[in-house]
Amino acid sequence: MKIYPLIVLTVVSCCLLSCSDQSKNDRKHIIYWASNNTDEITFAGKIVDQWNNGNTGSKVTFQPVPEGQSSEEVILAAVVGNTTPDIYSNMWQGDAELYARAGKLVPLDTLPGFMKFISARCDSNVIKEVTSIDGHIYQIPWKINPIMLICNDNMFKSIGWQTPPKTYSEFLKAAAEIKHTAYLNGYLNKWIGYSEVIETWWQRLFDFYPLYLAASGGASLIKDNKVVFNNEYAIGTFQFMKTLYDNGYFPRERLSARQDAFLSSDIAIRFTGPWEIVHADKFKPPGFEYSFSPLPVPDNHKNAAYTYGDTKNIIMFTTCKNKLAAWEFIKSIISEKGDYQLLKITNQLPRRKDLTSNPLFINYLNDNPKMRPFAEQSKYVRGPDICPVLKEIFDAISREYEACVIYGKKTPQQAVNDAAKSAEIILLQ
Amino acid sequence: MKNSFIYLILILGSVVFVYPFIWMLSASLSPESAISNLVLFPTSPSLNNYSQVLDKIPAARSLINSLFVSLVITVGVIIFGSMVGYALSHLEFKGKKVLFFIIIFTMTLPFQLTLIPQYILMVKFRWVDTYLALIVPYFLNGLSIIMFNQYFKSIPVDLIDAARIDGCSEFSILFRILWPNSLPAIVTVGIITFMSSWNEVLWPIIVIRDEHLMTMPQLITLFAVGGRAESQLGVKLAAAAMLAFPVIVAYAFFQKYFIQSMASSGMKE
Amino acid sequence: MKKSIKITPYFMIAPYIIHFLVFITFPVLFSFFLMFNQWNIISPMKFVGLQNFYKLIHDAQFFRSLLNTLIFLVIHIPLQIIVALFFATMLNQKIRFIGFFRAAYFLPVVVSGVVITILWQQLYGYETGLLNRILTGIGIAKIGWLINPNIAMGSIAIMATWKNVGLYIVLFLAGLQTVPQYLYESADLEGANAWQKFRYITLPMINPTMFMVVILSTIGGFSLFIEPYVMTGGGPLNSTLSSVLYIYKEGFFYYHMGYASTLGFFFAGIILLVIFFQKRYVEKETR
Repeated sequence: MKIYPLIVLTVVSCCLLSCSDQSKNDRKHIIYWASNNTDEITFAGKIVDQWNNGNTGSKVTFQPVPEGQSSEEVILAAVVGNTTPDIYSNMWQGDAELYARAGKLVPLDTLPGFMKFISARCDSNVIKEVTSIDGHIYQIPWKINPIMLICNDNMFKSIGWQTPPKTYSEFLKAAAEIKHTAYLNGYLNKWIGYSEVIETWWQRLFDFYPLYLAASGGASLIKDNKVVFNNEYAIGTFQFMKTLYDNGYFPRERLSARQDAFLSSDIAIRFTGPWEIVHADKFKPPGFEYSFSPLPVPDNHKNAAYTYGDTKNIIMFTTCKNKLAAWEFIKSIISEKGDYQLLKITNQLPRRKDLTSNPLFINYLNDNPKMRPFAEQSKYVRGPDICPVLKEIFDAISREYEACVIYGKKTPQQAVNDAAKSAEIILLQ
Repeated sequence: MKNSFIYLILILGSVVFVYPFIWMLSASLSPESAISNLVLFPTSPSLNNYSQVLDKIPAARSLINSLFVSLVITVGVIIFGSMVGYALSHLEFKGKKVLFFIIIFTMTLPFQLTLIPQYILMVKFRWVDTYLALIVPYFLNGLSIIMFNQYFKSIPVDLIDAARIDGCSEFSILFRILWPNSLPAIVTVGIITFMSSWNEVLWPIIVIRDEHLMTMPQLITLFAVGGRAESQLGVKLAAAAMLAFPVIVAYAFFQKYFIQSMASSGMKE
Repeated sequence: MKKSIKITPYFMIAPYIIHFLVFITFPVLFSFFLMFNQWNIISPMKFVGLQNFYKLIHDAQFFRSLLNTLIFLVIHIPLQIIVALFFATMLNQKIRFIGFFRAAYFLPVVVSGVVITILWQQLYGYETGLLNRILTGIGIAKIGWLINPNIAMGSIAIMATWKNVGLYIVLFLAGLQTVPQYLYESADLEGANAWQKFRYITLPMINPTMFMVVILSTIGGFSLFIEPYVMTGGGPLNSTLSSVLYIYKEGFFYYHMGYASTLGFFFAGIILLVIFFQKRYVEKETR
């Protein structure tokens, strides 16, 4: 009979150990989840300290989002498990609609002073972009990381290009020249560029989708719950990427499974964002020079090249017990001072309309010239469309992309058409 | 002549099964650029990759998590498995046949069927992101019952009857008489249970999202698949090496038990 | 005194019964119920009748995952049997250091699948992987182990064989060692050749082990998760999408709980059928 107490003890100690600090869910406490990016943690710490020191009312505690395969997954798990924070600042724009429809997010436009504040910060296109299908606004545009080309200046100079290619033809020409100089030891060890050859849906946010936006001037994939991407821009993008793979200008193998190919000069460009600057400066070999350039566009393209901005927004969960105080805290995050700190600490662009005109930010750009191309690009940035099944649709597009672009099993027209058909079925469910 | 040929084959075989681990260890000790040329030993060994891993993820914490979870599960399985095994082998009660059928049924039931609903249970119990979710569903299993049942049958009934006459309760008989006489079974069940729970990755990935509660295989998996390793090969291999290390050390000392236990579990199928 | 003996067994089996009801019975029933619904946990459940079944029958990915599993098994099982038997036979000769060799071959069996997968991802790399470097070193063209849709699953099968064969070497060895020497000697006297000796003496003795290899490998093939998850994400072109990976994606990427349950149910059913027929076949053979 001595064993039963042991069993009880084991079970009880399990329960006790599993009780992670239950968040203090009283009215006075606001829980804020920040991304688990090191710099953002520093930023969050600063903002929270400033708030707590200057505020005798509600205190804010923050914690980084637990690490999982993607923070989107983690949030979904928190919603499902009812362990959501009050405020979350790294919500991917494409995710919010699902939660809004399930009634988990606060319609922020119902908070006093919201519309005025937001119109002063963001221009009307941006506000329209984040408005939900039911007319309410559930997410605040916070920051963007525009996808551009990072270019290995030395590699381009070595084939006689002083500036990186701007159109599809230029790009293909440069690619051919790099391939020509690359045959060594009987195997290809240099390419013009690389994009992850995995079929996971979000990978397309970093190759297909930015190129599509660039070519189409920021057009949507899904509008009003209808498929609108079955067009020449999608087909053109597929065709361009397919040509790159067909000719061996982009490798089909997963280079990410080994060392950084860009910094070792194995590839000349990569589709990336401002986060690359810190990484490149930290790990680059001596003498290595790089710059940023807008995405390549079709030859007959006019106007600016749009791109995808990896838009992350701030949301408030309906479980928040003190919405007004939470809104005040959010305001401090996206105030001019807050945005400037975001820029300085994390090198990520706040989504403000005065990014290139406000002297505060101009100072920053003068100190950090490598960020300038991104700041200028910020006027021509789009986030993902508002659609609750966006991920499934990207998944369908991604599968067609893989079949057509990487393995050449379909023509671009067929692939885009099939993707559109799959998307229509998905939208019906 | 024939013998040396056989030895050659066997040695080549050993190389095939062991060299990749040596390569992994060497690569984890090498700087990034040297890895593509690596053959056997690192030219300038350094622990840099390992310190990077420890910087980025709570590897030590996950080791403790794994140890804790696997230990608790193993203890639970041994306790409960031996209880039911004893009941089946030496006690009388109604429904023995039904119980046997149930046990076999659970052992043949493919987990694909219960995966989703078990997750939903965890959600409803509010056990997501707790140790409970990792432990309780595995606290009992059919294999241990079968193994204990079989082993206990070989224990002489007289021993048990004598104890009963002395006034021992059935539980005391189990723990004071059967256990000391069933060490091989306990060791076997212990090793099998410990190893299988240690290596389990799918379930932790589903029910644990908080890094500080992750088991070691789970943490290393997500580290290798996610972007935290900043595409650095050496760092990923260092993480994998860290995961392999405890088991390889235990294996080096206790190979015989490992091999015997895992082989005999197969025989029971 | 008599009364306590009667109740105690029930106490002893009670934890198991409770566990069984909560973690097996309820899930099986709930899974069956979920198949007729659409649910993403955060919104209310929506009854959809037979829609999930209709979707399953028209689901290319579902059939592809079955095909992938078949490809895996067709490569993995024979390879494993041949390699394991080969080494077991070698070890069965009068040689020393058996313990050392056995320990070496068994090593991958105990190491976590995660380690093995990360390691082999490097071995299989196209430009810089160890295997391709060896191949180009001896003048053979590189192989797209994980990027060629026709080969990727086979590559995983080879890795799975490398990992598990040690267990079967040990088991086959044990089986071989139970064969009494005099059977071989009398066969020699009757003029039997090596193949006949193998077919009529050795094979029947190791049949139980063979059977076990087949069943366990089949279950393993249907349970593949970590390998495609880490190495290929299910690609290229869905060629390494395993049944569990697909359930995981549907259930935990998109939270299509109803459809994921349907997949789980059908995969479970298929596994049981396959094992059932394998058992029947083996039983017929051993008669």
